[in-house]
Amino acid sequence: MNEELDSQLSAMFDNELPAAECELLARRLSRDGDLKARWGRYAVIGAVIRAERGVTLDGTVAGRVNAALSSEPALVEANTPQAAARAAQLRWWQPVAGVGLAAGVAAVSILWLRSQALPGGAHVVMPAMVAGTSALQPAAQSALQGASATVPDSFVVPPVPQRPMMVVPATELADYVVAHSAFSWPVSRGNLLSALMVSEPGTSSTPARSEQPASGVQGNAIQNPK
Amino acid sequence: MSADASDLSLVRRVQRGDKGAFDVLVLKYQHKLVKLVMRYVRNPAEAEDIAQEAFIKAYRALPQFRGDSAFYTWLYRIAINTAKNAVVSRDRSPVEYDLDRNNTDESYDMQGRMKDSETPEGLVLTDEIRSTVNAAIEALPEDLRTAIVLRELEGLSYEEIAEAMACPVGTVRSRIFRAREAIDRRLREVFEGGLGRAEELG
Repeated sequence: MNEELDSQLSAMFDNELPAAECELLARRLSRDGDLKARWGRYAVIGAVIRAERGVTLDGTVAGRVNAALSSEPALVEANTPQAAARAAQLRWWQPVAGVGLAAGVAAVSILWLRSQALPGGAHVVMPAMVAGTSALQPAAQSALQGASATVPDSFVVPPVPQRPMMVVPATELADYVVAHSAFSWPVSRGNLLSALMVSEPGTSSTPARSEQPASGVQGNAIQNPK
Repeated sequence: MSADASDLSLVRRVQRGDKGAFDVLVLKYQHKLVKLVMRYVRNPAEAEDIAQEAFIKAYRALPQFRGDSAFYTWLYRIAINTAKNAVVSRDRSPVEYDLDRNNTDESYDMQGRMKDSETPEGLVLTDEIRSTVNAAIEALPEDLRTAIVLRELEGLSYEEIAEAMACPVGTVRSRIFRAREAIDRRLREVFEGGLGRAEELG
């Protein structure tokens, strides 16, 4: 037998072998019958030196344990503390990864919605895309120019159907609110009164709404800025 | 270097499903465990039964062993608990009147050994092993004998032995290995000529 291997076996028996060498030797030891028998004899030598009286030295206990465990199933890694620790680590990462994935999806959705919600339905144009268009073939460029010529100068917003409004004079509404203020919450009463004050043409600090459209706005049509 | 690296590497193998690695641990600690249990029960056959039970319990509990303590410390704890429980359950069982209790330790020891499953061949083999090992130790050169005795009897580490013998740790490792080899050469003849049960485990 290899002398170096035997030397390692002796050191391993004394727990004096480096851990890296132990891994390899333990693997061999559990499979090699001769090596295992030698290991058993090393234990016998120790028992004799320690004068362990009353202890049988012919490997009775080892044989009986081996026979008793032959019907036992081998241990599986899922039951070990290391596997449990690995599973715990995975359990910790799973929700984090889930949250990250959800955040990514949400960010992409927001970007997409923002690109859809730009004024006039215009899309975000990346500089690279703009640069790319300059490299297009002349035919494609002329086609694009033709298409842009068909776009109208103004974007027409469909008119909102007019519904008949019930016009209540502001002074009457204020009287009504004051009359019923005793029965309402102070906070909501304040809000309602301040809202009325704002809507009163004479008291508001903001310009009063005009029934006529402002300049630049004709009907419901918004002029496209150029 | 971890003081328990070799045991731990074997334990990890068992935990990964290698039952052969558990045989190696049993071979290493069976004598120590029987000796330990004999502090609680005087009958060697009963001590072997308890040691066997402790090993089986340890195997089943090994998935829970995290390596916070040394394997043998953990194993010894299991053995002590098993022995204490065995003593308690035996005390609850009907009293056995043993008229030979006043005999000397040696005669009681022999009677206990012959009482149970131990065969006369096994006893003869044990005695032969003992005398062979003792003769082989006597025949060793002094430096080898001192190194192996300091290791096995005093339980010193290689570093402590190196300090005691004023030599490098590598020399200690070599001396202990050569001492074991010399003893094992003679011991192998006994096992191969006798029952050789340790060989059967392979």
